[in-house]
Amino acid sequence: MANEALALSGIDAYYGDSHVLHDVTWSLGEARLLGLLGRNGAGKTTCMNVTMGVARPRRGAVTLFGQNIAGRAPEDIAARGIALVPQGRRVFRSLSVHENLLVAARKPEAGGKHAPWGFQTVYAAFPRLKERRHHLAGHLSGGEQQMLAIGRALMANPRVLLMDEPSEGLAPRIVAEVMATIRRLKEQGLSIVLVEQNAKLVFDIADDIVILNSGQVAVAGTAAGLRDSGIDLHQYLGIY
Amino acid sequence: MAPLRAITPGVSMWTILAINSVTFGGLLFLLSAGFSLIFGLMRVPNLTHGSMFMLGGYIGSTAIVTWHLPFWLAAALAAAAVAVFGGVVERLLLRRLAGSVLAQVLVTLGIAFMVSDFCLMVWGGDPISIDTPSALSGGTRTLGVYFPTYRIAIILIAVVIAALLWALLERTRLGAMIRAGVDDPEMARVVGIRVSRLFTVVFCLGAALAGFGGIMGAPILSVYPGLDFAMLPLALVVVILGGTGSLIGSLVGSIVIGFIYNFGLVLLPQLAYFILFLPMVVVLVLRPQGLFGRAAP
Ligand SMILES: Nc1ncnc2c1ncn2[C@@H]1O[C@H](COP(=O)(O)OP(=O)(O)OP(=O)(O)O)[C@@H](O)[C@H]1O
Ligand SMILES: [Mg+2]
Repeated sequence: MANEALALSGIDAYYGDSHVLHDVTWSLGEARLLGLLGRNGAGKTTCMNVTMGVARPRRGAVTLFGQNIAGRAPEDIAARGIALVPQGRRVFRSLSVHENLLVAARKPEAGGKHAPWGFQTVYAAFPRLKERRHHLAGHLSGGEQQMLAIGRALMANPRVLLMDEPSEGLAPRIVAEVMATIRRLKEQGLSIVLVEQNAKLVFDIADDIVILNSGQVAVAGTAAGLRDSGIDLHQYLGIY
Repeated sequence: MAPLRAITPGVSMWTILAINSVTFGGLLFLLSAGFSLIFGLMRVPNLTHGSMFMLGGYIGSTAIVTWHLPFWLAAALAAAAVAVFGGVVERLLLRRLAGSVLAQVLVTLGIAFMVSDFCLMVWGGDPISIDTPSALSGGTRTLGVYFPTYRIAIILIAVVIAALLWALLERTRLGAMIRAGVDDPEMARVVGIRVSRLFTVVFCLGAALAGFGGIMGAPILSVYPGLDFAMLPLALVVVILGGTGSLIGSLVGSIVIGFIYNFGLVLLPQLAYFILFLPMVVVLVLRPQGLFGRAAP
């Protein structure tokens, strides 16, 4: 692909002896949204961990804007313009909302496309966070913590954003809010990987789809193409 | 008039004892604040902390007596040298033992014994005493009580350092990053925080404070073989009493232990250590997280 933001190619990853990712290859185009789907334990979070340097792949390359980052330390990878909204949100519970944003703040690269993210813009996007900025993150509701996890990732002014099941455990109204936020970020030109178990949510906004099954890429294609192809996706996605 | 005369020396003895207690508490704070931060933030039980105190005392005294450096320059040098020692121990040894408390206890205890031997070899067995810095010698007499300037200065310095440490941890970005690294080290790295480097900074800072405490205490306690293992249990008691990772706990714990230690030595010398460790045992049983510590989640 000509304008590739992030690509995993031929990734094999293990936890100890258990082989979790088998020759996984997928790529995210610039300013596109890739939906990464799959059942519990399919290997979605492991893909995120490998990309961020939290897990080391045994084989394969992770390419971010043309440079191989596989095997680098997470803090070095973070410095190259990629941020993660992790599964389970993982806000820093004993820090205030404001401090959670503060520790993740990073200057945008020169020549960024849209106005850089900072306290003002994040608080404007999530007014609820501004109201609660002196509260401890651990005391926020699930929805607020999700907003904070997204805000924290944006503070780094990333060019690629990874979101690992941002709708997990949230009420439908909050899920709709989160999805609207993601849509907005996409319109601003951010390249996004959205990990989900809920296929319907993803097909609504994704450009491309990758479905993992038992650590292997089972299906890959554009969202529109897959929708029209009539392939039965249910076999890979459990109940959805 | 006779009864008044009889009472006055008694009152001033109590006051002197009280001043000495708070002073000793100030030294204990310099010693235990670092111990508490290192244990509270990094979960490393650093049993070389008494050695760092003693090393600071020896290095600073040598700088004053042998090299004729001014007191405050010598104190800064002692703190810096001990910080380097702490950094080397942390980077080369403790870093490799992350997560294994038993190994950390054994290694730091081993290093403490090695430092003891090393100091005995270099500085010999005689206590080294140094003068108080000339600007702080003497004292003032107010309301019939004599306040020695140097001891009052130690108290003020301890309070100022407590305030600075608090501000560093709670009011700066660096402090927030350190706390984020404690909360969730992996996630902290993912947002770009160099957790490993920050933990080395915390370790060096704790070491520097202990070294500084050692030279500040030298004019009062002198420096002698065995000072390390005389101070280490006091740091443990303070931190258990105050709660690990809590600065205010270290400060209050230090002053409480300063009082118990000094008054115990005078009133019940045979039971001084019993009285010293009793509050620790009581706190451990009734409130294991310490007076100011947070309960483990
Ligand atoms: N830290 C770990 N140690 C050992 N095995 C692990 C670890 N983390 C995940 N696994 C295993 O690796 C496989 C892939 O897990 P992964 O977390 O990537 O799945 P996932 O697709 O994100 O699932 P979910 O939808 O439940 O989040 C699973 O079989 C899981 O049990
Ligand atoms: Mg997952």
